[in-house]
Amino acid sequence: MMINKVTLLGHKDHGKSTLLGSLLIATGSVTEQRINEARKTSRQLGRQFEPGYILDSFQEERENEMTIDTTRAQIKYKDAAFEFIDVPGHEELIKNMMSGASYADFALLLVSAKPEEGIKDQTKRHLFLAKMMGIKKIVVAVNKMDTVKYNEKRFKEIKTELSEFLEKIGFGNNDLDFIPISAYNTENLVKKANTIKWYAGGSLLDTLYKFARGSPTEGESNKMRIVLQGELPDKKEKTLIGKVISGTVRTGERVKLVPGSSHYRVKALFVKGAKAKSAKTSENIAITLDKKMAEDARGRILCSENDNLSATDDIDALVFFTSAIGGNTTIRFNGIEIPAKVDIRATVNVVTGNTEKSKKIKPLNAANIRLSLGESIAAEPFSKTMELGRFVLYSNREFAGIGIIKE
Amino acid sequence: MIKQDLNELEERSIFIMREAKSKFKNVAALWSMGKDSTTMLALARKAFLGKVPFPVIHIDNGIDFPETYAFREYLARKWNLDLIIAKSQIKPEMSGFACCGENKTVALKKLMVERGFDALIVSIRRDEHGIRAKERYVSPRDTDFKWDYKNQRAEMWDDYASKNDTKGHVRVHPLLDFNEIDIWSYIKKEKVPINPLYFSRNGYRYRSLGCTHCTSKVKSSAKSIDDIIKELETTETEERAGRDQDKEKAYVMERLRSLGYM
Repeated sequence: MMINKVTLLGHKDHGKSTLLGSLLIATGSVTEQRINEARKTSRQLGRQFEPGYILDSFQEERENEMTIDTTRAQIKYKDAAFEFIDVPGHEELIKNMMSGASYADFALLLVSAKPEEGIKDQTKRHLFLAKMMGIKKIVVAVNKMDTVKYNEKRFKEIKTELSEFLEKIGFGNNDLDFIPISAYNTENLVKKANTIKWYAGGSLLDTLYKFARGSPTEGESNKMRIVLQGELPDKKEKTLIGKVISGTVRTGERVKLVPGSSHYRVKALFVKGAKAKSAKTSENIAITLDKKMAEDARGRILCSENDNLSATDDIDALVFFTSAIGGNTTIRFNGIEIPAKVDIRATVNVVTGNTEKSKKIKPLNAANIRLSLGESIAAEPFSKTMELGRFVLYSNREFAGIGIIKE
Repeated sequence: MIKQDLNELEERSIFIMREAKSKFKNVAALWSMGKDSTTMLALARKAFLGKVPFPVIHIDNGIDFPETYAFREYLARKWNLDLIIAKSQIKPEMSGFACCGENKTVALKKLMVERGFDALIVSIRRDEHGIRAKERYVSPRDTDFKWDYKNQRAEMWDDYASKNDTKGHVRVHPLLDFNEIDIWSYIKKEKVPINPLYFSRNGYRYRSLGCTHCTSKVKSSAKSIDDIIKELETTETEERAGRDQDKEKAYVMERLRSLGYM
């Protein structure tokens, strides 16, 4: 069964883990044993039953009522399966949120309807990051509707403000849906709740189901791109290993190495350990070529001989900074680490979506930058080939952010 | 329990193991002769065209089941494994947390230092335990083997930890995404040889295998792989229900793992 990966998003304490716990219980996706263990912990801590404890397994997470690190849980609904990725909402834990969300196909954003909670900077920051990471569809669940007496006006207020922001950062109306819920009371999660009569749409799982069945991703490239990882150990004949990230490759075909200038003919291909005539997208392959490759294969790309893919050491990118940078700055790109000089062109305020003149990097904000790299890489715009259009930024060996390459 | 797409799981495991082998100089794997680490070896044979290209370690406290030892000898010969047996001494007064922590972790530490391994492949899965669900595909450990779980490194896309990210070694988890039922589906599809203790005898079978002291059987009539898959489709009990280690006080797995246990 193919699994739709859905990341949760949203400000701390707006109910991400509680929602996931409630969904697991309501759909029978978790054993009675696990639920009882969460019940016992709630009692020991002198608290009401907290469904979030099913996900929050660390002692520190339960005692402090917060998610520290990302985790996953699976739910089957009708003929579809979902893997929900829970993430922390705290600003200082954003690297853990990003680690989880980077694997998602779409997102489920939570906003609390409580007057003192509502849309926060972190709500918008998560959406900005989702857009950057290539997440194409968003379901917004307005949570804690029970605390505002299921007030339609409050729901619409949040919907209007978020719609504007989402449109501004590039989400279309067809990629969005809004739904009122109460995670703690399991309202509108699996079945439609009769407490929210004014709401005409389906339950949360129905809405996600509709998205899961949606049209396949458009605009995906079918050009041959093989990211090389290295070579197999102890082989008489040099055997390269790598992953086909788009297109197909056949034995006998002429290919070109980027960066590099050499052309080769594919001698033999191996898929899942067995000899094959061809290999397709997302397969991990082993490959031998008609002549010896002088370069170190790791981080290089094989493409069709007549492809116009080329290497560059100058890149325009949008970067989200998790911290300030300085000293030794590098990017990590398809398995290799390369020194980089960062030139800020303009900062981007992730909460307003506006470009600002300031050239000073603010942590938890973004910027349009020009990167000058210590060596050339086979980069392409993120919109064209995701895997060749993204990188991770490191400063003094610490994670400092992520970037996507622009047209 | 959800049956996932085996093809997708297999591709990810192959990718992760090849990354580990490409990025680290001295890779080894833990092999308990159980279903998960044996499946991992089957996947390694695919990733590296028929050969497991790293040593496999059995931390042997001398009290594993006779069937387990026999299976070790059988498969090590059949697959030509570079088997390292790391002997550990159990102390009669110890049990559960103290025993697993002391015996397995200490023996492993000693071996890692002696042999200088910088990456260790461990076949844990997310669905086994809430704590294991929090893991990364590649997870740094410090020189004391400690897992800094409150401050794990960012793991964006396929950017797994490399040498620069650890002062000690890394744990590599190629089976993290597999569910228990996927392991059995894969064993069936690929005809992976398996320890006979998993099949029902006199109404009971082992669902998770540890040593003879701390592992108990669960009620089951599953006599074949198909039976096991059918059983798992509807089961209401946890996989590790027969493991004493998980039944002591709360957070035992968290403490064990933070100290270097697998």
